[in-house]
Amino acid sequence: MRPAVAVVDDSPLIRESVGLLMPGLEVAAAVSTVEELVRRRPAADLVILDLHLANLEQQPDVRQGIAAIRAATGCGYRVCVYSQEERRFVLAACLAAGAGGIVSKALPTRRAEELFVEVAAGGTVMPQAVVGILEVLVRRDCITLLSERQRQLLRGRARGLSYAQVAKQLFVSESTLRGYWLELTRSLSDSLRDLTPAEIEHALGLAPGDLLELWPAEPTAPKDWWRTG
Amino acid sequence: MSCALRATRSSPSPLYAYVPKGHLSAFAVIWPSWLLLRTLSFRGVVRPDESAEFARPTAAVDTGRAMSRWNRLWRVAELPTTKAGVERAFSYFIAGVRLGTVAQMLPALHIGVATSPHRAAYIACWAAAALASIVGSAVTLVRRRPLGAAASCADFALACLLLVLAPMVLQEGERFGTWVAYQPGYALSVILVAGGVRGRVLWAGGLLGIIAAYTAYLGGAVGGNMTWTALGNILTYVVYALVIRMFYGFTRRIARDADDARAREAELARREEERRAQVLMHNGVAVLRLLTEPAGDAERSRLIDLAEVELRRMRSYLRGGQSRQDAAAVGAGQPVAVAALVERVCGRFADLHVDALLDLGAGLRLAPARADAVERALESLLLNVRVHAGASEVVVHLDQHDDRTWSLTVRDDGDGFDPQTVTPGIGLREVVVGELCRQGFEVDIDAAPGAGTTVTIRSGAEPTATAVAHDTSRGAA
Repeated sequence: MRPAVAVVDDSPLIRESVGLLMPGLEVAAAVSTVEELVRRRPAADLVILDLHLANLEQQPDVRQGIAAIRAATGCGYRVCVYSQEERRFVLAACLAAGAGGIVSKALPTRRAEELFVEVAAGGTVMPQAVVGILEVLVRRDCITLLSERQRQLLRGRARGLSYAQVAKQLFVSESTLRGYWLELTRSLSDSLRDLTPAEIEHALGLAPGDLLELWPAEPTAPKDWWRTG
Repeated sequence: MSCALRATRSSPSPLYAYVPKGHLSAFAVIWPSWLLLRTLSFRGVVRPDESAEFARPTAAVDTGRAMSRWNRLWRVAELPTTKAGVERAFSYFIAGVRLGTVAQMLPALHIGVATSPHRAAYIACWAAAALASIVGSAVTLVRRRPLGAAASCADFALACLLLVLAPMVLQEGERFGTWVAYQPGYALSVILVAGGVRGRVLWAGGLLGIIAAYTAYLGGAVGGNMTWTALGNILTYVVYALVIRMFYGFTRRIARDADDARAREAELARREEERRAQVLMHNGVAVLRLLTEPAGDAERSRLIDLAEVELRRMRSYLRGGQSRQDAAAVGAGQPVAVAALVERVCGRFADLHVDALLDLGAGLRLAPARADAVERALESLLLNVRVHAGASEVVVHLDQHDDRTWSLTVRDDGDGFDPQTVTPGIGLREVVVGELCRQGFEVDIDAAPGAGTTVTIRSGAEPTATAVAHDTSRGAA
């Protein structure tokens, strides 16, 4: 059964192309703003959300970034960010804000479709750069909930090793390893949400305040706004 | 330094004709200098979060964030070296001078009240001075800049009035050398804080007014040796007013020049960025244009390959990959930071999608010869990926372990090869394996057809620190 998705993107090209180029997805709605998504509330297994929704020509003041993720997850949607954004701390901040996955628009559409299906099924898709950040946080005891096997798995994946390579190292089957990874990424996402910017800055050797602008503040913040530029 | 209250009527020393002068002179010289030095020695030249454009969210994530904001509000060392930052520093200085003056006035209040021929008037004058100081400090802190022309004018007027009224509320003989006669000290504090007023006429007029009022204050009390003391006090007003005025003006000029320099830097950076974008997009636009033309399958296939290369180049640009090439250079013979080296090499392969995860090896340094070997090997590996692998993802991972050994992993998800049947080319065989082994590194190559290639370079059994020391000393010899 094809997962139903709602596409939120300011580009009509992307909104149209998801349905045309990814036959494994059923597009339940394609809207240009998260405000419209919240108003219409289509039934969807997954919201495919662009990170940069504001544009000067048509919708300069719409919600975007962390605020958009929060608005969608607040309505009970599972969210997968679909963006050209490459900055690793911005991507990590999206996971911390509640996104279930992050898929790059630079990926081939077939691969992107596979990842959307994975997130719609409850999985967590993390870019390699974010896996690297999480490995550092685990190694520096910022995240401490991991078993030795999970640490080994994270170590292998952070080096870009395939499931087959890591499975061989750990003497388990590839499918078992995929199950471990699914569980591990969920756990890491949850842990990431619990961390403060200061803790992450300290673990990564960043200067105090480097992450404040990127990292999600309290949902009740009066200025619940985040600029991705 | 505590205030040396001199409520006795003994003859004052010529150097301390009245106590406030002695106290405030040190205060006036030291504090602005300290303030200026601390402000200029601020670590980062500018903190973007201080400007309105980059204003952070106002809500705090946690108490720590709120505390951090509170601390930042009061830490002069973290004030930005902008015009706004300097004005804020001035506001701290002004509040310090004014509140300090009130603190100096306070201990002698009861003596003044007890000895004044008009107690109520003395208290009213004292209260007016204290209130003006406190309100002026609060307003200055809230405004984050010195008081405006109207408030400064009122300040001067009050100081003059207090000096003129002083002979009526002070007992004979108390006009020198005691904080019971706070009026000259208060007038000096007004001169110090009004140095920052914009209008030169207002400033000069206020100063002259205070000198005239001080002359009236002296009245018939001056005589004998006290004439020269009184003259010295007047000169003190003039000299301090000039010095503090120069201090305000020069500091403002530094801040203005710093702002201009930053604006110029930003403009140059913008132009450079524009140039980079133009260079980067030049080929991409041409490929896109050709793709819109009708063409045969073979031509289109080649164009798609070219488009793929341009796509990777643009992705690298979006990630800021080019800046990696500008990684800091090191002096000859100095240990080399491996993370910076790896970033620099990865920057040369903008067409590959390289994820460089280097945080765990951020502190790793190698002797120059060993670092050179690693750099050549990594470049050769990435060249192999570019030419042969057809990979969509490349991960370069640096890890320094707890036992001070380290590993550098280069993994691509490309075509791979069978090590049993394929003889490695000269690059992999000589530059990577041969040279690295000669330098004492261990090299492990894991590849399989269709499953990509993983090359791991390890430091070997010898701990890094020892190796650095050993190699550096050898290089020096």
